[in-house]
Amino acid sequence: MSSPPSHAPTPGVRRGSPQLRLRIGFLVIAIALSVLGARLVQLQGLDPNSYAQMAAAEGTTEVELPAERGDILDRNGRPLADSVAGMMVWADPELTDEHAADIAAFLYKKLDVDYVSTLAKLREHQVDGSDVRFEYIARRVPATLATEVVEEAERLDYEGLGTRRDPLRSYPAGDVAANLVGFIGTDEPLAGMERTFDTLLSGTDGSERYEVGGGNRIPLGESTITEPVNGADLHTTIDQDLQWFAQRAVRQAVEAARADSGFAVVMDSRTGELLAVADDPTYDANDPAGADKPDLGSRALQGVYEPGSVQKVLTVSSLIDQGLVTPRTQIVVPPALNRDGRVIHDWFGHGTIHMTLTGAIAQSSNIGTVLAADRFKQGQLYDYLRAFGLGQRTDIGVRGETKGLLPPLNSWTSQLEDRIDFGQSLSVNGVQMAAAINTIANGGVRVSPSLIDGTATTDSGQQVGTDHTTRKRVVSAKAARDTALMMERVVDPEVGVAPGAAVPGYRVAGKTGTAQRVGEECGCYDGSFTVSFAGFAPADDPRFTIYVVVQNPRNGGGGGSVAGPVFSKIMSYTLRRYGVPPTGTRPSRLPVEW
Amino acid sequence: MSSPAMQVRTRIPRFAESAVERARLTVVPRRRRAAGRAPFLALVSMVLLAGVIGLLLFNTSMQQASFTNTALEQQADRLAARQQSLEMELEQLRDPQRIAGAAQRLGMVQACSPAFLRLGSGRVMGEPCASTAANSLQIRPRPPVKPAALNPPANVVTVEAPAAQTDAANSSAQPERGTRERAARDGKKKNNR
Repeated sequence: MSSPPSHAPTPGVRRGSPQLRLRIGFLVIAIALSVLGARLVQLQGLDPNSYAQMAAAEGTTEVELPAERGDILDRNGRPLADSVAGMMVWADPELTDEHAADIAAFLYKKLDVDYVSTLAKLREHQVDGSDVRFEYIARRVPATLATEVVEEAERLDYEGLGTRRDPLRSYPAGDVAANLVGFIGTDEPLAGMERTFDTLLSGTDGSERYEVGGGNRIPLGESTITEPVNGADLHTTIDQDLQWFAQRAVRQAVEAARADSGFAVVMDSRTGELLAVADDPTYDANDPAGADKPDLGSRALQGVYEPGSVQKVLTVSSLIDQGLVTPRTQIVVPPALNRDGRVIHDWFGHGTIHMTLTGAIAQSSNIGTVLAADRFKQGQLYDYLRAFGLGQRTDIGVRGETKGLLPPLNSWTSQLEDRIDFGQSLSVNGVQMAAAINTIANGGVRVSPSLIDGTATTDSGQQVGTDHTTRKRVVSAKAARDTALMMERVVDPEVGVAPGAAVPGYRVAGKTGTAQRVGEECGCYDGSFTVSFAGFAPADDPRFTIYVVVQNPRNGGGGGSVAGPVFSKIMSYTLRRYGVPPTGTRPSRLPVEW
Repeated sequence: MSSPAMQVRTRIPRFAESAVERARLTVVPRRRRAAGRAPFLALVSMVLLAGVIGLLLFNTSMQQASFTNTALEQQADRLAARQQSLEMELEQLRDPQRIAGAAQRLGMVQACSPAFLRLGSGRVMGEPCASTAANSLQIRPRPPVKPAALNPPANVVTVEAPAAQTDAANSSAQPERGTRERAARDGKKKNNR
């Protein structure tokens, strides 16, 4: 370059023209560059994403980071539903065919799968001429077991088995609270709280992308991670042990009475928390397919029935609240009562007797109650029943809850009102009625029942739980106390109809119910009965309200003999479990006759 | 570099040449000590080598860390799964149904009514009572009743009475057999409940 000008080449034909050569050279380079440029535009400008994806797919792995589903817990934090890392075991029949019999025997021993059908799956690698390379062997196996089995199979040189993630939902106590908790199908929650609170429980899955070489992550390679958001736990107010006890007690009674079904509701009188909502028949949440469809829900909330004489408690407390009667109000009870052509009877035959209002409750006299309720003005009872919560959902977070049926005020006739006085011609659901009776236990203030501890949002956007408990005075404290004293006479062995409901040593207030039942087939009273018992203890300082209902007992029993003993059993267990000593005061001595 | 200096010198008029020559200050061309190229090359290649080896070691250690990471992650997953399985087993052992069954096998029964002992006064609160069959809790469902087809009536073979017996004895044996047959069937039904 530093050569002096004298050295500059003189134009000569022999060595060719450098200008020309330069131009041609530039042209070639330009052509080459423009080809590359065009390619660049093609790659980056026209369809960059697909190429980026192709590049990424080469050696990049994307794994789903599953969010862990929240547990459903009882009031003591014990799981009613529990999530466990699970896996499926699958097989590639093309590889397993060779040792199919050995592998099937091995899997039968380890995973307890059916030998014959497994053997068929392991052999069947051609279906309709197309290759089958994937067969489920076992689903929802705990991850530890699945990994162990596949590792052992590899040691034994059994080829063609693999695992994949398959989350497992376990219900450790089987049928305990299954009616409320619900269950999960193959891919989605199908019933109960699992479905109602799915948004809360399920969380959000995350994902992770990273480059892989030889089975290991390449350090400094591309790596993006979206953390999963685990589902939250759902805290219920259910007490697992008490729920179990109640379920067994109800089942025993249903079986002994050869009844259709039954349920029991245990409620904390002061807070309205439901400690147990036991249903029978129910199902094992780990095997919902093995149960009849009607058993998959909660009859205590989804079924309607006429409450019968338990309703008299509401009628009488309203009467006392209005100052129209006292527990000692004297009533002359005729053998039968003709009301505009329809005759009302009592459950027991009698002549004309002189009962106090307390006697009418203790002996569950329809006639006595109707005569006392004649003092109501038009519409008064309706207002009270609405205030007690009848005809409205309790909205505790159970799907498909019924409203019950309280006839609208404009359809009330005097005959209808007579029947409603003693609990016919209106229908309720179990928790609704338990909350109504609990109003008397809670000194006349209705506390709304709840099943969720704290707060939770249902799939319909409703906020439920103990944080949303409402309290509303329905009857005066005095009316509630008087009613409780009257109800105490029901379990008195001498004057009451339900001595079987007593808890020795405690003051118990209660009321029996034996209602005509509407059969499913004819939609009319078919001669079957709904028998029930509602009550609370200790009567002078109530802690728990329990309501037991048995549908269609076939042993001829009534509320006192079928539901009463169940009440006594559950109440006795609850008082012991929560360490509630007897109050030690003198029981009610209200006169029943005059 | 030296050639322009030479050109400058040639244009200077030549007088007192030697003196001028002595006095004249000229730019001494910087003496370039021909530094040995070997050390420089050695240094560069050392640096290069160190860099390459360092990078290699770094990469290897990263790779090693990645292996360890993968292995530890797998172990963590396995242990988490194991913990969950054990917790599940624990919950299954805590199942009230199982505990009640175990208690019953030990001969325990449901208490009849709650009673409390006040430690201060030694007074018993509540009415303790004996547990009887009436307040027992049946913890297992009754087995399902067998369908009639699987529950055939007892096969009764009527045997002729010995000839020695009187007519009176014969006539009384007839209804008795009937009752026995019924009783056998009833007994079977009860067993099947």
